[in-house]
Amino acid sequence: MINQLHNAFTLFLSLLVEAIPFLLLGVLLSSTLLSFVNERGLINKIPKNPILGASLGSFIGFLFPVCECGNVPVARRLLMQGVPTSVAISFLLAAPTINPIVIWSTWVAFRDQPEIVILRVIFSLFIAIFIGCIFSLQKDPRSLLQPALAKRLAIINAYKKETQQSQLIIQKTERTPVLLQSGNNILGQPSNSIRLENNIRITPIPSISSNLNSKPKTLRPFIENVVAELRELGGMLILGSAMAASIQTFVPREIILSLGQGIISSIIAMMLLAGVVSICSTVDSFFALSFASTFTTSSLLGFLVFGPTIDIKALGLLLSIFKPRIILYIFALVTQLTFILTLGYSLFF
Amino acid sequence: MNSTIKMKNQKSLNLLLILDILAILAWGGLLFKYWLTGTLRLLIHPNYFGLVFITSILLLILGAIKTAQFISDKNESKKTENVGHITLFPPGIGSILLLITAILGFIIAPGVLTSQTALQRGMSASLPEVRSHPEAFYLSVKSSERSLIDWVRTLNAYPEPTAYKGQKVKVSGFVVHLPQLDDNYLMITRFILTCCAVDAYPVGLPVKLETSRENYPPDTWLKIEGRAIVEVLSSEDDIDKRQFVIAAKSIEKIPTPKDPYGY
Repeated sequence: MINQLHNAFTLFLSLLVEAIPFLLLGVLLSSTLLSFVNERGLINKIPKNPILGASLGSFIGFLFPVCECGNVPVARRLLMQGVPTSVAISFLLAAPTINPIVIWSTWVAFRDQPEIVILRVIFSLFIAIFIGCIFSLQKDPRSLLQPALAKRLAIINAYKKETQQSQLIIQKTERTPVLLQSGNNILGQPSNSIRLENNIRITPIPSISSNLNSKPKTLRPFIENVVAELRELGGMLILGSAMAASIQTFVPREIILSLGQGIISSIIAMMLLAGVVSICSTVDSFFALSFASTFTTSSLLGFLVFGPTIDIKALGLLLSIFKPRIILYIFALVTQLTFILTLGYSLFF
Repeated sequence: MNSTIKMKNQKSLNLLLILDILAILAWGGLLFKYWLTGTLRLLIHPNYFGLVFITSILLLILGAIKTAQFISDKNESKKTENVGHITLFPPGIGSILLLITAILGFIIAPGVLTSQTALQRGMSASLPEVRSHPEAFYLSVKSSERSLIDWVRTLNAYPEPTAYKGQKVKVSGFVVHLPQLDDNYLMITRFILTCCAVDAYPVGLPVKLETSRENYPPDTWLKIEGRAIVEVLSSEDDIDKRQFVIAAKSIEKIPTPKDPYGY
């Protein structure tokens, strides 16, 4: 038993040591680019065509190499600046996968199976663009958003049109309390939900001004952001790695094999696991690697495609933007598409 | 009243900052230690040693900057809280997890994967697959100079066991007792790493002993010299297959090598 524990600990450390460099790299890059990329200029270049727009949204991830917790604030800022919902959703779904660091770490983990790296990118892109196109049918984003956010969007639109009047309205809304409706239920901890509310209240409005006269920021906010993301994602990484190492060590091989070798059961199991383990997408391929010898390739793909878009952590974050109903739609669509694509892969290859 | 609350807030904020700094420094230190002492060999593929080294330095620098900021802030009694980021953990939990793990890493040295893991990951007496295929492969290496992994690769490239009959074999690895093999057979085994210990997979060759394998308990490291023979072993899938087996002439117990894994 002691032996087993030591074994699990070694695997746990090995996961961490391999993953932390990538985590740090991702955090450093996202913190750098968040301060330098000109969002305004980007928004003006978004094409009107829904497919092109959604595709562009998917590739914005290359400019913001952030995983699922970093992309929600970015998506919210984009929405607030008038980016179409379809583009923002494509960005949300694709950015955690379609960015250089995630692709590199997936490559490091699956050098022996390059098809996993390539298909992860293709499937994620397809899903992001497809869902983006569906949401492009809804022209008015306000019916999708959390009421507080929708209100702010309306205000910001007004602000754009009539600068003089809008200042009064903003002052008014600053006085009205903003409630995050479902945050409490999901997070369960009052201290967290307060933080979320704070964020909702704070981020959008400064972002208008900060981006209108964007100037290079000093070292301090950069360091603050690096440390905050490192702390948050590092914590998640530790929980995820502990889980992967324990499953690999303590669950009898027969059980894993019987689950992992079935075409459908393996995909469902890995997608479920992806939903529960909120491990950051820059390092989730190492997590998946620990199942590489026992699970089917298509189920690993299911994990790698599904995980970055939908997991417990992402749900909490998404609630800060969208109405629960919309998240349910996105969730259902992503689940079905991931399942169909990976099942298709396992049947035809 | 108000000022005491402020003081309390300032205190807990300081505590969180200190936790952050300690967590970052601890991880920088741990990675640096692993790099310096060669412990990394037990954890990841050598390709990524450099990456870990750079990361350790960056973390240490980051920790130093944070410390400097913390000290200067204390003097000026000004504070900044990060606002643009959403957190799901209660404050402090992330850093505490990071810190505790790093401390455990300092205390408990990572171990070498054992025969139990080899069995868990699936070992059979029939020829193991080698996942990474070298682009060029030369059979010209003298048979007695081939390592265990060279042998497995050679056999993968050209599996006919009779081709090697009588060749000298000199390999080292650790002992795995396969339950399906008779008492006078053991598997001499090594793990191959492609990324990190998590995906290490065992490769091994059956060894025929003159005595019972109980003399060589699992996980003992052995240096085995002998000759290649061809035998039919009972395998898991009940298809009797002629197979490459090492008939051991001399067996020497050796200490666990510093670099126990193959790549």
